[in-house]
Amino acid sequence: MSEKLVNVTINGKKISAPASLSAVQAFWHAGYTRVEGIGCMEGVCGSCRVMVRRVNKKEVRMQLGCQTFIEEGMQIIFLAFPAPTHHAYQLSDMKNSWDVHSQFHKTFPETIDCRVCGGCTQSCPKDIEVQRGVELAAKGKFREAGELFIECVMCNLCMTACPEHIAPNHVGLFCRRVMAYFHLRPANLITRLEELRQGEMDVRTDN
Amino acid sequence: MSKGIPYDEALKRYQHDKEHTLPEMNEILRDYHPDYYPDSLVKLQVGINKGDLCHRQLAEMLQADARIDEADLAGTSITETNVLVIGGGGAGSAAALTAARNGASVILATKLRLGDSNTVMAEGGIQASIESGDTPQAHYDDTLKAGHNKANKKLVARMVMDAPDVIRWLIQEGMQFDQNEFGDLLTRRPGGASANRIVYYRDYTGLEMMRVLRESVSNSNIEVWDHSPVVELLSSETGHCAGAVIYSVEERTYKMIKAQAVILATGGIGRMHINGFPTTNHFGATGDGLILAYRLGAKLRDLDSFQYHPTGVAYPSHLAGSLITEGVRSAGVQLLNALGERFVDELKPRDYISAAILRECAEGRGVVVDDQTVGVWLDTPNMELREPGLMKQRFPKLFHLAKRGNLDPTKKPILVYPALHYQNGGVVIDENGHSTIPGLYCVGEVSGGIHGRNRIMGNALLEIISFGRRAGLQAAQNLSARGHKKSGIEHLTKLRRELSRANMPMDVKSPMLFPACANFELE
Repeated sequence: MSEKLVNVTINGKKISAPASLSAVQAFWHAGYTRVEGIGCMEGVCGSCRVMVRRVNKKEVRMQLGCQTFIEEGMQIIFLAFPAPTHHAYQLSDMKNSWDVHSQFHKTFPETIDCRVCGGCTQSCPKDIEVQRGVELAAKGKFREAGELFIECVMCNLCMTACPEHIAPNHVGLFCRRVMAYFHLRPANLITRLEELRQGEMDVRTDN
Repeated sequence: MSKGIPYDEALKRYQHDKEHTLPEMNEILRDYHPDYYPDSLVKLQVGINKGDLCHRQLAEMLQADARIDEADLAGTSITETNVLVIGGGGAGSAAALTAARNGASVILATKLRLGDSNTVMAEGGIQASIESGDTPQAHYDDTLKAGHNKANKKLVARMVMDAPDVIRWLIQEGMQFDQNEFGDLLTRRPGGASANRIVYYRDYTGLEMMRVLRESVSNSNIEVWDHSPVVELLSSETGHCAGAVIYSVEERTYKMIKAQAVILATGGIGRMHINGFPTTNHFGATGDGLILAYRLGAKLRDLDSFQYHPTGVAYPSHLAGSLITEGVRSAGVQLLNALGERFVDELKPRDYISAAILRECAEGRGVVVDDQTVGVWLDTPNMELREPGLMKQRFPKLFHLAKRGNLDPTKKPILVYPALHYQNGGVVIDENGHSTIPGLYCVGEVSGGIHGRNRIMGNALLEIISFGRRAGLQAAQNLSARGHKKSGIEHLTKLRRELSRANMPMDVKSPMLFPACANFELE
């Protein structure tokens, strides 16, 4: 089977490559070097952020380069990965779960300034309802907010898109982490930990 | 008298608790597992493992010339730290966090970006004996048996005893796990195990783990150097590991990091495409750590043993090698050949199932597409018929993958073929991840001895945290008041002498750093 070649522009370079290739593979296929912003190549590490415009479309979309298969006339630009967010916190700073709400607003004060512009939701390559997650978190609904971010790969595209520097993906992760930190207390695990503490569970290695 | 073994002698050989492997399993491995391909192995001619069997492709890298010499280090910047962690996956993160929390200054240098690793891609889950019918002893026995009794028993014992506390530690970092309606952690059974022992989060266990660990590292005082592959380790005048030389991809220059302890957590070798197989591994899995440690004189083991995951995608070809988690088989999905017949117990260890698939394909019972792709069916529609909707809820990543390939797993079976997944061997370590070189720790896939000759599902995510924490603690607790007097790359002189004495081609350079497809050249 000879594969059909399609013409695309990647980082300003005109490239012809088989249609089955991703943006990352097509760039390599044309002989160009790229090692930064390449990770798992399976859409879960969030490294290979690209902006994509399809032929005759006005809209520019944010996507992952390894998950973007090239189409005739596509224009693609790789985005550098942004510096880490300035939103710093330690889970251990919260004495108990009553403190979570105030710690959240101390760490992410910008969430109350959300303009409801929808930029974060639009930029998400995983179709997460990002803006709704931010709204829920600001209201203290951490469980519900965190559930929305199950598929988040921390590509930070929503952070790039946000005019208020909210860092919505880190908001989502905060919500998920506090749920585990304060509320995940599985009886089967705790029982076993106690048995181990009492020295009831040694391993024989002599056989 | 009839021919045989006398009663007393036979009684001496008898062991009441011995695990019996049926001959067919050995035969099928010997005849079809890629580790036994004729001409794939050579004997090493250089270094401490001289005379040991090693895969041809790995041997070429282990016996290649270094990329730098003294001249490259003239005028390079020097940074000092207590502990240098090399690698930004789960093992490196756990080690760095533990070292930093125990008072050490830590630099974490990684070739790609913090989190870009095989950890983030892990789907199936992590092993810990937490169910009431299960014990650490059973976990230990299963691990040894699946590894063909070749694992280091002390390492396995440590790991299985650590396991429940590893889960607790991860929860305290903010990691979620799937639970039942009573709040207990859900478990499923790994192939080759005697009990339900895998805890998981959907088929995103690694993603959930890595995003939490990355956030922990970012919120600590650990200094993270992204895009900084190590090209050589530094040695001291006393033969200690004393730091590393990194190449800054962003600044296109070499830099030196001097450290009192180095924790190597560089992962595996998938992108070497051993025996030409597609791989489930990430872009940076080029085996650099093995080469770096070997040059310093660290002992390696099981260099002829690799894991081929039974269910890599075979078709469509642009998805070749993409992983379908073993969790799918744990949940009851079966494998069928082109005749529509089952040919293997899907919950046997991975090496056996991969060999069985390769046998079906070699003997003409594989499904052939386009005259070049061959595979067997992963019977997902049957599972959908038995438990409608369950797959989509438990395995969202599988459905994303299928969508990219224009497949509907609820209607049509998926064509699968083994893919290179894991390096079973690696650097010899002790119970704290310490290698045979003072000051050099190795944790995660780069280390060897925990899995013997075949790893059981869920022990990789366990190992990286268990030994990552152990090495991080040990490194932080054993800092000497003063650092090393001298540190450099003098050990390369010995390497080059040995290479030329053994007539090795000096035009081959290692470590590989990046796969050839990315067209990367050092300045």
